[in-house]
Amino acid sequence: MNISHLGGMILFALLASVAFASLGHRTCAGRVRHAALCFALFMVFAVGIAWLLYPLSR
Amino acid sequence: MDAAPIDPSPERAELTTEAPPVPATPSSFAPMFAAAAWIVPGLGHLLLRRWVRAAAFFIAVAGLAFVGYTMRGEVFAVRSEDSFGTLGFLADIGSGAFYFLSRIFESSGADLSRSAGDYGTRLIAAAGIVNIVAIIDAYEIAGRRRG
Repeated sequence: MNISHLGGMILFALLASVAFASLGHRTCAGRVRHAALCFALFMVFAVGIAWLLYPLSR
Repeated sequence: MDAAPIDPSPERAELTTEAPPVPATPSSFAPMFAAAAWIVPGLGHLLLRRWVRAAAFFIAVAGLAFVGYTMRGEVFAVRSEDSFGTLGFLADIGSGAFYFLSRIFESSGADLSRSAGDYGTRLIAAAGIVNIVAIIDAYEIAGRRRG
């Protein structure tokens, strides 16, 4: 099974978000909100940093 | 001169009421729960009847480790060549059973000739770090330090 870099990053963000959310809140709704926010921030920062570094790769 | 009257409002009373004392030392069973949380990710919380956290930590640690092994990341041994290898070992061994079973999950060995293998190394380390957080959380819950 081959996992691409983007797939690995998405899986990492998803699984780390689940762990963080379970620590941060006690209610189910709070955990879901926290996980969604954490996942979104992971993705935004990862893609943002990738674009910032893109000129250096050329 | 008379002293200022004490405000009898409930808000003030709530502010000045001291919280019940929290035990400074954990219970004697806390290290056992921490050890259980280390050996099998989520087991410590399971024994503490924290079902959701147990499931969340098991899924997170198992998922990160499995993805890391699938990407053929490196698993650091006890005796490493440099301090970074030692740090990698300390992170990897945090995942407990998933570290000791790494030879089964990654039977073909690490492949660092591709960048995917390097990313896999980070994911395996992340699995250990997440489980270390879970160990600390289980230890604190068992010690009645938090609810």
